[in-house]
Amino acid sequence: MGENRVIENDGKVCQDKETYYRTINWNKAKNVIIAILLLTTIFGAYQYDRANKLKNHLNNTYNRAFYELVDYVSNVEIMLLKTMMTSSPELTVTTLRELSQEAYNAASNLSQLPVSVGALSNTEKFLSQVADMSQSIARQTVRGVPMSDEQYNTLASLHKFSLELEKSLNELKNDLSNGNFSWDNVAKEGEEDFSQTSEEMPKTFSSIDQSFSEMPTLIYDGPFSEHMQNRNALGLTGQQVSENQAIESLGKFLGKDKINNVTKLSDNKNGIIDTYNFKIELAGKKEHSVVEADVSMKGGHVIWYLYNRPVGDTTIDIDKAKAIGLKFLEDRGYKNMKDTYYLETNGIATINYAYTKDGITYYPDLIKVKVALDNGEVVGFEAKGYFMNHTERNLAAPKISQQEARAKVIRGESIKASGLALIPTDYGTEILCYEFIGKLEEKDFLVYINAETGAEEEVLLILNTDDGVLTM
Amino acid sequence: MKKYGRSFLAFLALLLISSFIFLPQKSMGAGTGRISDVQLLARAINGEARGEPYEGQVAVGAVILNRVKSPNFPNSIAGVIYQPGAFTAVSDGQINVPIDPNSTVVKAAQDALNGWDPTYGCLYYWNPATATSKWIWSRKIVVKIGKHNFGK
Repeated sequence: MGENRVIENDGKVCQDKETYYRTINWNKAKNVIIAILLLTTIFGAYQYDRANKLKNHLNNTYNRAFYELVDYVSNVEIMLLKTMMTSSPELTVTTLRELSQEAYNAASNLSQLPVSVGALSNTEKFLSQVADMSQSIARQTVRGVPMSDEQYNTLASLHKFSLELEKSLNELKNDLSNGNFSWDNVAKEGEEDFSQTSEEMPKTFSSIDQSFSEMPTLIYDGPFSEHMQNRNALGLTGQQVSENQAIESLGKFLGKDKINNVTKLSDNKNGIIDTYNFKIELAGKKEHSVVEADVSMKGGHVIWYLYNRPVGDTTIDIDKAKAIGLKFLEDRGYKNMKDTYYLETNGIATINYAYTKDGITYYPDLIKVKVALDNGEVVGFEAKGYFMNHTERNLAAPKISQQEARAKVIRGESIKASGLALIPTDYGTEILCYEFIGKLEEKDFLVYINAETGAEEEVLLILNTDDGVLTM
Repeated sequence: MKKYGRSFLAFLALLLISSFIFLPQKSMGAGTGRISDVQLLARAINGEARGEPYEGQVAVGAVILNRVKSPNFPNSIAGVIYQPGAFTAVSDGQINVPIDPNSTVVKAAQDALNGWDPTYGCLYYWNPATATSKWIWSRKIVVKIGKHNFGK
């Protein structure tokens, strides 16, 4: 406004001023442009530098994982050969444990490479199984059972595979150190279809993985053994049922008066327990009134259900909740169940019940019940463990007494016995044990002594003791 | 000199502001304590199956836990979740954002950890509408839950 007034009063000054302001405006604009250009350049250079540093950092991390992998695999190959040559039990056990460690490390490094999931799946499996199986043979050797011919032959065949893997990895290693490929490209390849071979890579990971598809099936005492993948549901009884019959048994289970509407969502053909998958709208509720459930095609049993709803303030104590869960199970034909453990989170108690008979707790026959602690409603049920394992068993009578078993437990004075229990091993078998419970460093632990041999089968530590409580 | 002084000041101010914006940001989010398995699993579920039915959220958690138990995958929850390229929620950084302990995905993670597995041991899932990998279709579909196919 001031400028305009100057122009009106004096024309001459005005002209000068105009030029003056124009110059100033131009200079200003010039300065701003220069500043912006400078800033953009600095910013660009900075970002480029940063991106480059990050890229290098990432490539180095991948390189490290890969070079270590090559070393571990080479050690696996050597140790596999070594286990076949050792004869004394002491050295055999040491070698097998070392082999297991090297194979685990290799598997761990392999999973850090930026190759799409599934591309190295067979290779990963090979390494995991070598690690797992050598642990199993080591355990067996400790028990005084020497390696069988069959196990020797398996190790020999695994050694051939490890040689092949070592060779392929060394080829890749050469390419990597010659700069023939970088991890950026591998990561990109993984995003697309990795069965297509990139021209840039002389030997892709997929072709490495392919050589493991002919791996022999390995059966041994370990969690990664092949027999763990294909188990039958021993406790699933009854005839095939139709969808309507399944809805009928769902009505009995949840209470027909509580159900407003049932929709079948899908047929779940998993090959272990084939089920109908249902969505149930509950009656007389306003919101969050959906229950999801699976009913088995064989026998029409409810395998699990979940009812997720907001839970209000706790009004029910855990003893009441346990009684509610027990009654829920009894009413549905699951007699002789005993609560063994519970976990309390977000106002819900998830209680584990195990089957009991003649004073023996059958831990594999497990059912979990979720009780909402605001009104005692059962909001979840899971009986897969029960249906997989529950069967009439012919258990041999214990060969050692509880006193004898207790004498084998270290620091026995802090421990109380809780009788006989059938426990599952992590490779699908069951062992009859004496169960002892104790506390160490504020943590609950369980010791299991084999009722037949007196061997210490398992020591379990219960983690998360702030949420979870053993109830025996 | 004055005019240069002014633009110089403006330039300095811009530089200062920009350095605040563009400099690497330190300590984003909560860095305290150990992240529990539940929280890590919940974050993965949140990134992968936020809009899915509750069962679908539990199922994604179960797939992660099934991978831990499988010889074909890493042997820990963190190992499986952070396997390069395994989950988009990890690639885009969602996995590092803390989740409210009362949210639904935390409950779903808890149920998965407690043994609910609507997939009966599946190791893969994919959204048939957006899946780009041709290979994933070679997996046998075991069950469809919400938008996802689950396979072994």
